[in-house]
Amino acid sequence: MAKIIGIDLGTSNSAASVMMGGKPALIPAAEGTSIGGKAFPSVVAFTKEGQLLVGEPARRQAVTNPDNTIIAAKRKMGSDHIFKIQGKDYKPQQISAFILQKIKKDAEAFLGEPVAKAVITVPAYFDDNQRQATKDAGTIAGLDVVRIINEPTAASLAFGLDKAGQDMKILVFDLGGGTLDVTIMEMGGGVFEVLSTSGDTQLGGTDMDKVLIDHVVNEFRKTTGIDLTKDSTAMTRIREASEKAKIELSTVMETDINLPFISYDQASGPKNLELKLTRAKFEELIRPIVERCRTSIDNALRDAKLATSDVSKIVLVGGPTRIPMVKKFVGDVIGKSPESGVDPMEAVAMGAAIQAGIIAGDVTSDIVLLDVTPLTLGVETLGGLREPLIERNTTIPTSKTKVFTTAADNQTAVTIHVVQGERPMATDNVSLGSFNLAGIPPAPRGIPQIEVKFDIDANGIINVTAKDLGTSKEAKITIQAGTKLSKEEIDKLKQDAEKFADEDKKKKESVDIKNEAESFVYTTEKLLTQDLKDKLTQEQGIKISESVKELKEVLDKTPDEIKPKLEALKTLVNQITTELYKNVQQPPQQEQQAGQSEQNTQNQGPTN
Amino acid sequence: MLEQNESEIKPNEEQIQDNEIDKLKQSLSSCEDKLKRSLADYVNLERKTESDIQNGIAEKMDKFMLQFLTIYDDLVRAKEILKKENPGAQGLDGILKNIDSLLESYGITPISALGEIFDPNLHEAISIIPDESLDDNTITKELRKGYISHNRTLRPTLVEISKKSQ
Repeated sequence: MAKIIGIDLGTSNSAASVMMGGKPALIPAAEGTSIGGKAFPSVVAFTKEGQLLVGEPARRQAVTNPDNTIIAAKRKMGSDHIFKIQGKDYKPQQISAFILQKIKKDAEAFLGEPVAKAVITVPAYFDDNQRQATKDAGTIAGLDVVRIINEPTAASLAFGLDKAGQDMKILVFDLGGGTLDVTIMEMGGGVFEVLSTSGDTQLGGTDMDKVLIDHVVNEFRKTTGIDLTKDSTAMTRIREASEKAKIELSTVMETDINLPFISYDQASGPKNLELKLTRAKFEELIRPIVERCRTSIDNALRDAKLATSDVSKIVLVGGPTRIPMVKKFVGDVIGKSPESGVDPMEAVAMGAAIQAGIIAGDVTSDIVLLDVTPLTLGVETLGGLREPLIERNTTIPTSKTKVFTTAADNQTAVTIHVVQGERPMATDNVSLGSFNLAGIPPAPRGIPQIEVKFDIDANGIINVTAKDLGTSKEAKITIQAGTKLSKEEIDKLKQDAEKFADEDKKKKESVDIKNEAESFVYTTEKLLTQDLKDKLTQEQGIKISESVKELKEVLDKTPDEIKPKLEALKTLVNQITTELYKNVQQPPQQEQQAGQSEQNTQNQGPTN
Repeated sequence: MLEQNESEIKPNEEQIQDNEIDKLKQSLSSCEDKLKRSLADYVNLERKTESDIQNGIAEKMDKFMLQFLTIYDDLVRAKEILKKENPGAQGLDGILKNIDSLLESYGITPISALGEIFDPNLHEAISIIPDESLDDNTITKELRKGYISHNRTLRPTLVEISKKSQ
């Protein structure tokens, strides 16, 4: 089915979004991502040669061609205003259509298929004329506008408020580049009704940028006496640096504005602009602007005949609401924390895409919903450790195989203990069951190869098979895991994993070191009794035996006690083997060494 | 009665069997369809993942480059100042050349501007000077160099352009 796109046709910036794999994704502008994100300026222009420009390129030439550049056409939507450009008349909806055409083209390039339908958002206060004009703009652009929805409604959809399953009163605070819109809505049964709207058409992020730039310029003038406002290059640099500082101050408390060689003074040489800006200073600068928002909130509440305590949710829209002070201000006025989790710059476009998805059937289509395993599945290995086979959140059906081996010489059976959970020690997880694989031919430890296969079908049923690759003997178990744990239990297991992370890490380390020590004792003893039996001097043999004995004595002690003994034995064995090789005439072949390493990848496997 | 009943039952049984077969056929074809769709989805996903990764890298790279270029600009300014005060100084030229070739090796090329006609796809006009001798929109000064990254304007060149006074 063809996609329907969602469009946020804004006064200063526009953006579009589309449902991809059940989630809204922003459609990038063809000319690339700008610093401001994936949105682009709602600017339309005609060059002297009659070429049409939309977005970034139109903004870039605005200074040189102000008569033929149109900004904020949205403010004229639904009116009789006529834009006269190069002797031709354009209605506001024709100008908006150029923006929509660009979005259509970008969307087609992004999706790789034609786009014919769209949902477009408008401010809640738009009247029928303005809505019709917006619809007409879509038609002119070759888009079938399947629905016009209110911007605050779209934002609420993006935050998933329609799924809350309860009636609520929502305050949407939309502070854009140049306008503030406050809307109060009532939501019941997934239907949104606007109770009141209020706002200020001359209040926005641009005002905040201006006070910050003025501050930087003034500070520089104070220290150097130089006025930078006439220097357009310097001003561009200051504007960009201020924008960057403003963004940084949303996450840090202090930032530096460093602009080397901002100016050149014949007498004293080059001048640098170096300014420390704290969040407190920035907030002091923008406080008067933020305070101005209070009137609009009060008016909206009054018109809706509501008290602040009646508001159940606050939704923030627009770039400036990313500023912590703005967020806190709105929260304090209402006495509630605003919703979070969606980029306020993208919320309206995303909400429009969600509405489009609902209409297209994307959102509730009969696609097969694939489940995931909520917890990691694994088996118990030597020392009570858990070896994960299928990590949590893996989409099922799936299967995974791992090869294990025996932990003792002449071990003829292994127990496969299947556990579920996130903790490194098997006993801390939930046991799902265990089974034996017997009849393994006697062999030294580490030689048999036991292949363990986990297979989960689409219903969450786990089949665990163990197979001795030497004899092809098999044993298996079937576990109905899906029904075993409730959601609460799963959450508890996950929380435990986080809670005990440090403790578990220590436990695992201690088992790891013990396993390593045991394994090294085994190898060394084998060297002594078999491989190097005739090659060692008596003195060397005694030294090693003593060291092995010392290590064996501490095997049940703490890692701190095992480690030095293990290291001592390792050093000793290395010294002696190195000496041995020195006496050998020819060096060993490289290939033989490479061949040996394969065994190390095997897991020292199920014991008991 | 009995015979009659039997004769009635027989076609019913066949019918039931036929229905069963039809049902199974339907279920089979729906399964086949779903399988094909899933496989196709997977292939499409693989392709999309690949391009998403590429785009993601390009995007991150562009973001980094945009910030790096401001530091590069500072070096260019430092060089100019150095030249002004000590015409023989060449220390920074080598560094800048190295950066230029680094940028080029990552597909980032400078936008030429001086003397050309203003193109809003590549340039951003920030000031205008009246000049009768030049065509309208001729770039008279390059205030900050712009760059193209993989056929996209990473950053436009900031320019001053000429206009005939009318």
